[in-house]
Amino acid sequence: MKSKQIKIVLRNCGQIDPENIFDYIERDGYSALGKCLSSGDRKAVVEVIKKSGLRGRGGGGFPTGKKWEMVSNYQSDKKYVICNADEGDPGAFMDRSVLEGDPHSVLEAMAICGFAIGADEGYIYIRAEYPLAIKRLKIAMAQAQEAGLLGDNILGTGFNFNIGLKYGAGAFVCGEETALIKSMEGKRGEPVMKPPYPAESGYMRKPTNVNNVETFANITEIINKGADWFSSIGTEGSKGTKVFALAGKVNNVGLVEVPMGTTLRELIYEIGGGIVNNKKFKAAQTGGPSGGCLTINHLDTPIDYESLKQAGSMMGSGGMIVMDEDDCMVAVAQFYLDFTVEESCGKCVPCREGNKVLYQILNKITHGHGEMEDLTKLKNFSEVIKSASLCGLGQTSPNPVLSTLANFYDEYHEHVVDKKCRAKHCRALIQYKIIENNCVGCGACKRVCPAEAVYGELKQKHLIDQEKCIKCGACIKKCRFNAIIIE
Amino acid sequence: MELIKSFDELKKITSGLKNKAEKDEKSKIIIKIAMATCSIASGSKAVLDIFNEEMKKQPLESVIKSTGCMGLCHSEPTVQVTKPGSEPVVFGHVDPKRAKLIIEEYIKNGRLIDGVIEVN
Repeated sequence: MKSKQIKIVLRNCGQIDPENIFDYIERDGYSALGKCLSSGDRKAVVEVIKKSGLRGRGGGGFPTGKKWEMVSNYQSDKKYVICNADEGDPGAFMDRSVLEGDPHSVLEAMAICGFAIGADEGYIYIRAEYPLAIKRLKIAMAQAQEAGLLGDNILGTGFNFNIGLKYGAGAFVCGEETALIKSMEGKRGEPVMKPPYPAESGYMRKPTNVNNVETFANITEIINKGADWFSSIGTEGSKGTKVFALAGKVNNVGLVEVPMGTTLRELIYEIGGGIVNNKKFKAAQTGGPSGGCLTINHLDTPIDYESLKQAGSMMGSGGMIVMDEDDCMVAVAQFYLDFTVEESCGKCVPCREGNKVLYQILNKITHGHGEMEDLTKLKNFSEVIKSASLCGLGQTSPNPVLSTLANFYDEYHEHVVDKKCRAKHCRALIQYKIIENNCVGCGACKRVCPAEAVYGELKQKHLIDQEKCIKCGACIKKCRFNAIIIE
Repeated sequence: MELIKSFDELKKITSGLKNKAEKDEKSKIIIKIAMATCSIASGSKAVLDIFNEEMKKQPLESVIKSTGCMGLCHSEPTVQVTKPGSEPVVFGHVDPKRAKLIIEEYIKNGRLIDGVIEVN
């Protein structure tokens, strides 16, 4: 059952040959650009995008039309359009999919943006880890250039627009627009204070409009079908659709595009086909390392920018990792902090040092050494990091901690007080035990144990030496008599 | 490729392409094979080769397209087959063996095989 899906961004993905411009033109490709250029009315283009209610799909949700208007209002001899294709959230691959499946839709939208804001040059900042997307973009750019749909004097209207590629080396922080611009200029990928915003002083200190791949992929459809059509989809404050990369413990892992306001239940159980092995749903992590988790209480909340924020998470770029009863929420928070510690650029102290402290406390808790005051410390440190960090990375990095603390406090409590992990995930807090009544003394577990932790004579009950056990789980896999359990 | 000099010229090209696509849909079998990074990683290249090779031997005319990803990660590699006058059918977990089966059973004889994915 996939009827809940509406495909705007992914309309051509899987339908056209991305390496053949005629396939794109056949589906009304470049007609939106033609329409804008032949009308000659820049302001009207900005108005349509404003009226559509489109908001940035990279995570923040800033109104796209407003951004375009701001950049178009600055007077400058040179302006730039930048497409942010530095997709870095763990488990997110929406942008790669669009660039590999429908590269022209992004190129066309960038040219439309250039026309609207008065820029004649654009760049796509793309991760070097996306070689196929880069290859297809290059082919698409060459074809569009040859057809006169990019380059000088597009469609004979006198409008020029050239697009170049800039490669990122995979630093997560470079998805933040000011760090992205620094990286493009050949400097260290570090964020700088805002204001001035890139709209005023961005790439090469010129007014610059930065939009995400998915945001751009909406533009041509809005121009072709109208702002009213677009704003009729979605919720009050969030219009249109959102692409989610559905991953984790869900049966139908994949890319889905649903109208804003679709509930988590519809996403997971109808489109996603439910949880793997019919296990119990525990949480869905949205917004990657900057987001938080939604719980069973949020299953029927319509998903949009506001409701996610209210639930302590954020839209982010659209990664959605579904977790079941076997996932330990403290370990999940630790996983994301591990990522943030690795990816923090180190420029500001709260992010560089604070996240390390958060990680160490979480590590202490998952290893059974946590104390009650650690939970207070986690919360206090998180709040300081959020309020004192320079850029979006640090301002949001404690979110996974705060959100799991708020929603799964009892799990933290159990780890600290009872030294137990209910998901049986944290190795330091579990024990492998042999149920004497079930054990027949076959010796299979003893033979497979790499730590020689199982002892007992053949045809006698066996036992596990907890001192020696490394909790690898090899014995449990070998036992055919259900005689080994995790406690 | 010719330079497109005006919006009107682009419109003409678009409608020409639309007519051709419509004609193709009425007379040819359209086979779309997802070929994104993820699809290729799960083996779609070999499937594409099979279709390119085998469809040449068939009396029916066909259009074979390698496309981007359809978002059906759980069933990659995926192949969408549209026969004239029928709705598109998407097959999942297609390997070279299943690709041949699709040609033999569905394309030639109109019999559906297991592993059809419901979309839309």
